Order: sequence, then structure tokens, then C-alpha cells
Amino acid sequence: MSVGDRARDVLARLANASATERILISTAALLLSILVGAVLVLVAGRMTACTPNEAVYYFGTGFCYDPILVFDRLFLGALGDPLSGGWSPDGQFSVTLRETTLLIFAGLSVALAFRAGIFNIGTQGQMVVGALATAVAVLWGATLVSGVLGTVVLVPFGILVGAVFGGLYGAIPGFLKAYADANEVITTIMLNFIATGVTLYLVSGVFKDPESAANQTVPLPEYAQFPTVLFGGRQDFSLVALFFGLLAIAGLYYLLEHTAFGYDVRTSGIQPEAAEYSGVDAPRTVVASLTLSGALGGVAGAMYVMMILGTFQTGVPSYGFDGITVSILAGNNPLGVGIAALLFGVLKSGTTVVQFATDVPPQLVGVLRGLIILFVAMPEFFRLVGKRITDTGSRAVATDGGRPEPAAGSSGTSGDDGGESDE
Amino acid sequence: MSDATGSAPEEPRRDESDGLLDTHSPRKIVAWATVGGLAVLLAAGALFPDSLAGTLSDVITSRNTLASALRLSVPIAFAALGGIFAEKSGVINIGLEGLLIISAFTAVYVTDVTGGVWLGFGGGIIASTLLAALFAVVTIRFRADQIIAGLAVWLIALGLAPFASQVIYGGPNTSTVPTIGAISVPVLSEIPFFGALFSASPSVYLLFLAVALSWYVFERTSFGRWIRASGENPKALDTAGVNVAHVRYAAVLLSGVLSGMGGAALSLDLGQFTGNGPTMVNGKGFIAIVAYLFGNYNPIGAFLSTMLFAGLDAIQTALQLQGIGVPRQLIRITPFVIVIVILALVGRTRTPEAAGEYYESGEE
Amino acid sequence: MATAVHLDGITKRFPGVVANDDVDLAVERGTVHALLGENGAGKTTLMNVLYGLYEPTSGRVLVDEEVRSFDSPRDAIDAGVGMIHQHFMLVDPMTVTENITLGNEPRKWGGLAVDRAAAREAVVELSDRYGFDVDPDARVEDISVGEQQRVEILKALYRGADVLILDEPTAVLTPQEVEELFGVLEELTAQGKTIIFITHKLGEAMRAADDITVLRDGRNVGSVKADETTREDLAELMVGREVLLDVDRPPAETGDVVASVSNVVVDDDRGVRAVDDVSFDVRAGEVFGIAGVDGNGQSELVEALTGLRRPQHGRIEFLGDDVTADSRRQRIEEGMAYIPEDRQERGLVMDFDLTENALLGSQHSKEFGPNGRIDWPATRTHAEAIIDEYDVRPPDADAISESLSGGNQQKFIVGREFERDPELVVASHPTRGVDVGSIEFIHERLLELRQQGVAVLLVSSKLEEVQGLSDRLGVIYEGEFIDVVDPDETTEEELGLLMAGEHPDEDDADASTDATESGSAEAATGGDRP
Repeated sequence: MSVGDRARDVLARLANASATERILISTAALLLSILVGAVLVLVAGRMTACTPNEAVYYFGTGFCYDPILVFDRLFLGALGDPLSGGWSPDGQFSVTLRETTLLIFAGLSVALAFRAGIFNIGTQGQMVVGALATAVAVLWGATLVSGVLGTVVLVPFGILVGAVFGGLYGAIPGFLKAYADANEVITTIMLNFIATGVTLYLVSGVFKDPESAANQTVPLPEYAQFPTVLFGGRQDFSLVALFFGLLAIAGLYYLLEHTAFGYDVRTSGIQPEAAEYSGVDAPRTVVASLTLSGALGGVAGAMYVMMILGTFQTGVPSYGFDGITVSILAGNNPLGVGIAALLFGVLKSGTTVVQFATDVPPQLVGVLRGLIILFVAMPEFFRLVGKRITDTGSRAVATDGGRPEPAAGSSGTSGDDGGESDE
Repeated sequence: MSDATGSAPEEPRRDESDGLLDTHSPRKIVAWATVGGLAVLLAAGALFPDSLAGTLSDVITSRNTLASALRLSVPIAFAALGGIFAEKSGVINIGLEGLLIISAFTAVYVTDVTGGVWLGFGGGIIASTLLAALFAVVTIRFRADQIIAGLAVWLIALGLAPFASQVIYGGPNTSTVPTIGAISVPVLSEIPFFGALFSASPSVYLLFLAVALSWYVFERTSFGRWIRASGENPKALDTAGVNVAHVRYAAVLLSGVLSGMGGAALSLDLGQFTGNGPTMVNGKGFIAIVAYLFGNYNPIGAFLSTMLFAGLDAIQTALQLQGIGVPRQLIRITPFVIVIVILALVGRTRTPEAAGEYYESGEE
Repeated sequence: MATAVHLDGITKRFPGVVANDDVDLAVERGTVHALLGENGAGKTTLMNVLYGLYEPTSGRVLVDEEVRSFDSPRDAIDAGVGMIHQHFMLVDPMTVTENITLGNEPRKWGGLAVDRAAAREAVVELSDRYGFDVDPDARVEDISVGEQQRVEILKALYRGADVLILDEPTAVLTPQEVEELFGVLEELTAQGKTIIFITHKLGEAMRAADDITVLRDGRNVGSVKADETTREDLAELMVGREVLLDVDRPPAETGDVVASVSNVVVDDDRGVRAVDDVSFDVRAGEVFGIAGVDGNGQSELVEALTGLRRPQHGRIEFLGDDVTADSRRQRIEEGMAYIPEDRQERGLVMDFDLTENALLGSQHSKEFGPNGRIDWPATRTHAEAIIDEYDVRPPDADAISESLSGGNQQKFIVGREFERDPELVVASHPTRGVDVGSIEFIHERLLELRQQGVAVLLVSSKLEEVQGLSDRLGVIYEGEFIDVVDPDETTEEELGLLMAGEHPDEDDADASTDATESGSAEAATGGDRP
């Protein structure tokens, strides 16, 4: 396929009505979540104590938190305050990109599984397992090589180890689903708890850093971590890692849209009976998708260790759950994951700024995470609202899982799509 | 136009129920293996009181073990009952965990503010029911995917409770409040071992009541039949003139009420809500789902399988105190491992035919 | 006589289509009135309007000469109108009594409990009055289809229905059950009930109805008395043009055996035997037909042959090789084409466009998916060729399958499967729910393929179809081949008897087989209830 064809292909897909609708719904859901978040901040501001001159006043009532300030900090703060001058790549913006990088992998992990029709809630656990495996393996590798060579060898090695262990951990619910019919939502959530427990045990025992009071592994040497390019090292962000992330987006897009395996996965995801009919080995595809999904989660773990923390410590932040939000916001589309990861990266990085500026707890982002999922999951709501506003009367598009509106056939002689259900 | 008249007319009528044969025997096997294992262990313990088996059977027959098993099963069993109502009506409520979290926090907060434990208990129920109502509207009215909406409910509560705790108490854990306390039935509570049944928190008695009432509703009332029909063949219920959406709303709200009791009992039992990481609920809502699947959607079955989980949990806690066996961190994960093992053995259960599906009555 | 139901100028529009166009219908009390028409003629839509499921775009509904406006089936039920849908509205795991009383349970203790004794009593009383033979305590999933239908009728009667609408009541019944049903209808009208029954089968309308109304393209094209009309007249009213009754089938030039099924035993999803020791060969250049009432093991047999279901015993050979253990994908690659009975479940991915659907089954082929990488331009060209060759409308490879009519979806599937250059085509109900024009087209293509020396296995529950197209015809009943006959030497009546499990020389033997069937089903499923 020529480049021109490909571009046209992409454009055609973007112009597709349902794709446009998806983007609209995602945007609306994001805005609505932020609105609800603002209300929440106001309410929280009533419940906490502050002096009268710290408070802000709306509608004659005093609030301790100012939602406008909160959201100003949330967004502009996350972008490193580009409007106030003195923007530097070393500031908060690199934290945003750092979060974005991890969210890309977590989001892709969830998206791949969702496309295969599998609810992988276990990205978190796969990430934790991948992270510990990477930390231990790279620590061992660091004794063999060092310096620039060390970086060139150890970083890809660490990613590979994370992918392999995350993938193996993802394969467990895959096998359980494929061969024992065990519901993957439950098994993956249980495996998250198990991953946390087992790594806690390992990292407080065999792999514990004897020098440290915390439950963590021995810190990786500098050369065994992601190199910082362009952006300063203070915020633990590496452009190289982000580049890997973009590569992963392109790779997963290609895999899904241009390979037979991707076709098998997509078909299994939306119509398993048709997939079976076309010769897809359903159990194998389930295992393969969850393994690959787990591998992407494992890479997120590797990134976390080699870019952010420099060691493995218990209490890995819940990027896995953020990944669900990112993927759903992106309509489970790899290209969309890139954008959604950036948006959610802004939210995550912004909440830390907010905490400094206003005392609003950073747990706010946890609430937004759930709200966004909830709102994206109810496209019907936005359709109703949209209909009321525009009243264009455009044909409703079938939702996933929902049956279409009366596709009563285009001709009087239509068969089974019509109003008739007779033989 | 609804799908049943339009899109899938060719599907041959399937007057069978899938997988009964598959699920039947493993469920029995697990149940009998548990009973058999216990019997062997107790026999061995009686014969060799000084062995490991002896210690184990001491722990198992201890009245404290039964007491703590009951205590541990309260939140799980309540949530499982709620889950049965929702899923039997055709709405898979995977957000039980979130309902437990929100009610656990609210119960403590309201108790703290009002000073009344039972007011707090009611507050927890209201919070959970409100969140369940949101879930109901989103899935029943706005056709949201039930699994995704359920995950959202969980994640919202997982964010909201620690957020509120941080705002109000300055940290993820709340201050401590008075606990519910226990009620002892005279004489009966003196019985060895089973006396634990009669000297327990009021929430345990409430649980017994809820199990019995739930059973009654499903087996003896019209409403119970409508719930079943709504989950098995909503069209049949609709054409019989019963509003499917109303039945589903009622069932999901009930799941909120029941989970609210479970969450409130959980935190008020300890007098505190702890909100670090997965919070004090720590997966109990998900264990509840497996409990009712394993209990085959029967309130009594769900309660018994909850007791199985909780009993194992109680035993491992007791063993920890005796300093036996596996490291603490690993013992903590046993309930989760057991859940996976049971799920793998039971495999696909006979879920209600229309569970997870949006239902739209007649024409728009 | 009084008019029980009067529909006056009913019009019902759906977005983009008029399902009913100014239809008048008058039904006399105490009669059986057949609503006759082809698929898509608007029969079910019209009755859904009467039953309150649809609101008419315009027109009036009169019951007992009183104008009514039904917002829901509840209103219709209150007015004494009951409907028995083609797909029964029964809750399988519940008992007969529970199903009949659903939504109207007798209660006691101030409504806090169902009065189960009273409910059972009412059901027994009702079924006695109309001479129905149903066990009030049996679970619906354990009883036969004919009994389930009687439960549906009782359900309507329990709610006080005076007018009963039956939607294609015979589609799922054996000929014997059909006779029983007609007896029930007679009993009901004798007791003053009014019956409207929807059908597309001429013979049944003539046999059971007092009056017949024919619908075509959503319009009433004639109401006649059953004893004042002929089959030919009705047929012409139904299709509006000369009917091609006979397919022109040149003599077969059969070659080698292409597919061979020997002693195959297949279980269905719940582990109940669906196919029991079936053997047959399909040769190059012949159409081997399988006739039978739906649900007698055809689906399982076809799935076993095409690799979607593993047989419990037996051997399947294809082109001389044992393929019993081969996967579905291997069989596709070996040259087995398959038109599945459910095009919207299996045959097409409804959310995919036609280009993507052209790839279904070929995604790993050398032609379109070399080295695991999909050649989209080649796939698109292929899709356009199918669209062109098989007259798929709209002719747009980017059209989402969902948006096509049933006939065009089917033509696309037929095209895709035929263009595989297959050795064997398994065609399962290839013209089900397809318009007349497409049916002829598909039949012609099927025979063309046969002329080219391809082996064809044709499964259909339409007698005219299997009889007209097949060179040899196996009749399946309860998972067994009753007989393999020469379709040209066999009459429709003889086939009908075979399909009911009887050899012409044997007498009524199916009552006992029925009993064992439901008995074994119970044994396999029972005992796991709370």
C-alpha cells in the first residue's frame, strides 16, 4: 500500500461518522467529569476548615477551595505554566510527559485486551510483576556491563524482561479463561492482589535492599536507567521512553489493522461466533491477546523502575487502573490511546501541582478516573443530550453490545432485518 | 423496535440450559472435599493432639474461629446477597466493591458527626444506595455496558472515600468512633463452639435475617419471580405486563441497600475506616461475586460459600497468631488464590440468560 | 356475527421503510382468521400494533367495536387480546404454573406471598377446560416445543384473552404437533375465542382458517373466505406475479466422493445427543440434500462436518483424507466452503465493512494474508468482485454489513464462499429470510456450481427447496437419518411423514420417542437447582 493510500485510509476512518461520534462523546465525558470534579471540590471546600480570608466566595457562600484555581493549576500547572513565561522543559511539563509515557503502555495494554473482547483489569498486577522482574534482572545485568554500553544493553534488556514476566502473568488469566471458562474480570482483579502480596513478600525478604528501611530492591546504577535527553534529569522523564511509547502505539495499530493476527483479535472481540467460523482458534487467541496485553503492562512496570523510581518499591501507583480510563477514553483505539494518555497525564501531573497550591487532596484524580469511565460508558446519555440540542435526527449508531436501531432494511422486500420476524 | 422482533429471528429456540452438567460436579466436589478434609483433619487431631493436625483442629473447633469467621463473612455475605438480586434481575453488578467502600467510609463519618452508631449504619446504607442508583440509571436508562459501569463505580468509590477522608480527617484513615458492640443471648451463648452464633455483633444477626428474607423473596413472592424472569427472559416479563426496568431498578437498589449494610458493618465493627491502597474493603466485593457464583445464586448457598472463604481466613489468622507456617504476606493472599482456584474449578456457572444485556421494551 | 377485532387504516412507518400501509382488517368473533404473506410483508408488525408493542403511525384499533389505544401489551391484555409469539415468551427454568401466572400471581398474606396452591389450581382448571395436556409442575425447559406452545396459549387464556394472536405457530412444530395445534384452535373457537394466526404457508391457512387476509409489501391485497378460494389464487395474491415452482435441474454427472461422513455421533451444547450414527457421502457434481424440521440435529451435523464442533464418535473424510481431527481453519484451507445458517452471528461481522468481511475465513490465506500481513488492496478488489458478480446492493465495499438488507447480506456470503474455488459447499438454509429475487439467484448459482463438478451439501427446512435442488435427499429426524430418497420419486406428503420420523408403512411411533427425548434431557440437566 502506498503512503498516499495509507493516508487516505486513515482519513477515511477518521471521517467515519461513528469515529467522530466517539471523539465527541469522549470529549463530552471528559468535560462532564471535570465539571463534576469542580462541584466536588466546592463541596469539599465547605467541609474543610480555613480562615475567612483564605476562602473564596461564590453565590455569597464561602468555600475553602477555589475550583477555578484548582483547574487552573491542574491544567496550566501540568503544562509547566506556559502562559506565565519562564517555561522550561525541566519543569512540571516533563512530569506530565513522564506520566503520559506510562499511561501509554498501561492504556495500550488494556486497549489490546478490550479489542479482543477481554476485560483485562489486571494490567496493574502485570505491571507490578514486570517491574520487580526488571529491577531484579537489571540489577544482576548491571554487574556484567556498565557505562554507555551498559545503558544500551540494559535498558532494552530491562524492557524485555518486564515484557516477558508481565506477559507470563497475563497468560495466567488467559489460560484460565480459555480452558477453564473462568471470568477474567474476577481472576485479573484477584491476580492484582496476589501480585501485590507476593512482591511485598519478595521485596521484604530475598530481594530487599539491606541498606534501606523501606521495602525496596537495591537501587539501579545510573547507567542502568533511561538516559535523559533534552529534558533535565530532575523529573525522571526520558524522551527515549516516550519514543518507545510512540513506537508501541504505531506497532499496536499496525498489528490490529494490518495483520492476520490483529484481524483474528478484532473479530473475536466483536463477534466471537464469526471468528470461530472464520477459523480462529478462540482459546489460543484469548491466551495470545492476554499475554501480549500483560507484556505491555510489564513494559509499563519496566519503565516505572528504569525511568522513574530507579528501584522497585512496594506500593506501585495504580497506573493499571488509569490505563482502563485511558483506553476507554480512547475508544480502545491505539492512536486514540496516545491522545488520551496525554490528557490523563495532564490530570495526574496537575493534581500534584494542585496539592501544593491549594491543599486539595491529590486523590481527586482517582475520582475523575472513575467518573470518566462512567461517562464514556454511557454514550446514550450524550446522544439524548445531543439530540435535544441539535435535533438533527441523525441515525443513532449502534453501541458495542447493543443491537442496532431498526435497520428495517432498505427495500420493501428486505428479509430478516425488517419488522417481520417470521420465517 | 426491539432486538427480539427484529435482528435475530433465525436463532433456533434453545430450550436447554448451558453447562449445568459442567458446573454441577466441580461445585459438589469442592463442597465435599471441604467437608471431607475437615473430617479427616478433626479425626487426626483427636488421635494425635500434639501434631500439627492437632493444633489445626484445635484452631478449627475453637469458638473464636467461628466468631471471627462470622465477623469476616458479614461484609462479603451482604454484598453477595446484593449481587444476587442485581444479577438475577439481569444487571451484573461488578461494582459491589465500590458500594462496600463508600458505605464503610460514610458509616464512620456519620457516626463521627452524629455520635450515633446506628445513625452511621443508616448513613452507610444511604450512601451505598445512592451510588447503586447512579449505577442503575447509567445501565438501565443509558444503556452503559454493565461491566464497565461497574468498574467505574468501584473506581469512583476507591477515589472518593480516601479523597473525602483526606479532606475531613487530613489522611486516608478516619478517626476512630464507637463500635456496634455485641449482643449475647443468655444460655445459648454458653454452648461450646456454636455459642459463637449467639454472642455476636448485631450485624451478624442482621445478616442471618437478610439471608432468610432474600431466600423468601426469591422463592415465595411475586417480586422474586419477576426478578428471575427479568434476568432470564425480560421479554416474557414485559409481555406479561410487568415493567422490566422497574424490576431491575428495584433489584439494583436492593443490592445497594444490602452492600451498604455490609460496608457499614465492616467499618463500624472496627470503629474506623482505613483508606490506604485498596482500602479496608480490600477485594471483599469481588470475593462476594465469586461467593454467589459458587453458591449458585442461592442466598443460602452464597452465605455458606462465604463462610468457607471467611472460615479459611479466620483459620489462617489464628495460625498466624500461633506462629505456624507460611510468612504473613503470603498468607494474606490465600483468599484471592482460593477464589481463582474455585473459579477455575466451577468454570462457567449458569448465569441468568439475559444477564449483562440491556433490555428495551417494545418501541422507543 | 360480531366483529371481534377491527383494524382501520393502520399505517406503521419505521425509519426508511413503511411496514404497514393503510391496512384494514376485520376479524369475526369465534373464527380463525389467517394473516397470510411472505417474509417482510408486514404481518408481524401489524399484529404487534394490535398487541400494543408498536404504536401505529396512523389508523385506529377497534376491539369489540370500541376504539382502543394500546400503549403496551398490558393494555392489550386488559382488552382481552393475547399474543403467542413465534419465539415463546417463556422463562425456561421456571415451571409451567410459574410461567402461566407470571405477572398475575395469585397472592396471600396481604400480597406478601404467592398463593402457589391457588396458582396451580387455576392452571389445572384452565387446561382441563380446553382439553390441554400439560404438567403444571414441569419446568418449561424440560417439555417439548408443542407443549411450550400450549403453555403460551394457556398464559394468554389465564389473562382473560378472548382474541389470540399466534405468530407463525407451526414453524417449530412437527406435522403431528401441527395437527394437534389445529385441534386446539377448533376447541378454542368452539368456546367462543377468536384466533388470528400469522403464516406464510398457504396450505395451513387453507386447512385451519375460516377467513384469510393476504398482506403484500405492507398492504392488504385481499380478504377471502377459505372455502371460496384456491391455492393458486392465494399464491398469486401473495407474490403478485407468476410463481416459479419448479427449478430447472439438469441431470447430475456425479464424480468421486468428495466428503464422506461415517457413523458420526454429535452432542449439543448441553451434552445431549443431537446426531446419532449418521453416515452419508457427497459426490462431486451432485447436490445432497438434508431435509427435516428444524432442531433435529442438522445444525450439529453441519458444524461437525465444517469443523466447528467435535463429534463424539465417527469419521469424517474429505477428498479421501481423514479430517475428523482437523481444525476449522484446516478445513477451510482444504477447500470446504460453508454458508452458515445464521449469517448475522457467524457469516458476517456486522460491524465490519464488506471489504473486511470479504476476508473472513481467508485472513491466513496466501492470497490475502501472506506472512501474516493482510493485503488490503487485494482484499478490496476481491470484495468489489463479489459485489459485482453477485449483485450485492448497495455496490459499496465500504458499506457496513449491518446496513445491508438480509438478502444482500446473504448474496455477499454466498459470493464469498463460492469464490473460494471450493471442492465442497455446505449450504445451511441458504435462502432463509431472503427475498424472492435473491432466492432464485442463489438457487441458480448453487446449480451452476454443481454443473462445474463441485459437491454440494444442502440443508434446509423448506421442502420445496431441498426437493427441487437435491439429487439425493436424506431425511433427518431426532438426529437420525430416517431414509435417503430420490426427491423426484417422492411426494411432498411422503417427505412430510418421513420428517415426522415415520416411514410411510409405519404407524404413529413418535409419542414414545418424544417421551424418551424429554426424559433424557431431564436426566442430563436435572438436579442442579437451588
